[in-house]
Amino acid sequence: MATAASSHDPAIGLRAVASLRLLVEQLEDLQVDSARAQGWSWQQIAAVLGVSRQAVHKKHARRGLRIGRR
Amino acid sequence: MFERFTHEAREAVIDAQAGARGLGHDYVGTEHLLIGLVGAPGESLAAQTLVRLGVNPEQVRARAAALAEPGAAASDAEALETIGIDLDAVRRKAEEAFGQGALDRPGRARRWGRRRRRKAPGHLPFTRQAKTALELALREALRLNHRWIGPEHVLLGILRERTGSGARALRSLGITLGEAEAMILDLLREAS
Repeated sequence: MATAASSHDPAIGLRAVASLRLLVEQLEDLQVDSARAQGWSWQQIAAVLGVSRQAVHKKHARRGLRIGRR
Repeated sequence: MFERFTHEAREAVIDAQAGARGLGHDYVGTEHLLIGLVGAPGESLAAQTLVRLGVNPEQVRARAAALAEPGAAASDAEALETIGIDLDAVRRKAEEAFGQGALDRPGRARRWGRRRRRKAPGHLPFTRQAKTALELALREALRLNHRWIGPEHVLLGILRERTGSGARALRSLGITLGEAEAMILDLLREAS
């Protein structure tokens, strides 16, 4: 299907962007969990991700609690 | 909007729903409308038109299914492949580092795989293109001074809509709006 259609087709291009965004989110979850498990602070994680400490904390802290991590 | 649709046209729309379900899609797009139109081979004027233009129902079905709206049923892996990302490779790397199923853990994001399909007990929703095609079917009927909306008008509506998978499937089979309209008018003259 993908090869049959041109990437100039917005439907295909936008779909790829949506999937890429999802992939990025999942990799971020994975890496943030791993960093926390290795004792990284939210500040350290935020600095490497290039976002504010508040942003990364807001996004991941609650999730961390839910899956049983501090 | 279906009040002026003939029995055959309504049947085609119902067949389109069935066709969509058969392909595992949770929407009715122009490609499914097209599949619905060729559902009863040789019977409807739309199906006859396509046959006369050298396209058999099997070809239409295969092409329409292949061109199904990519946004709706394509897997993430297929979508990422179009921009050169091999999801399996990413998954392998993630699993090397974080263990089996690392990317598949339930998190904030939805899980990988095919999009969740709605249980869909009733009607599947029409895509924007399918709605447009049906509206254009009405307009085609008015333009031709026909007092009914039959499968033939739906065919013209799909072609006139242009952007949907149905129109693309027909284009790739060499069917043009002008030829289809001329053939429909010929067949109507023959029948009268």
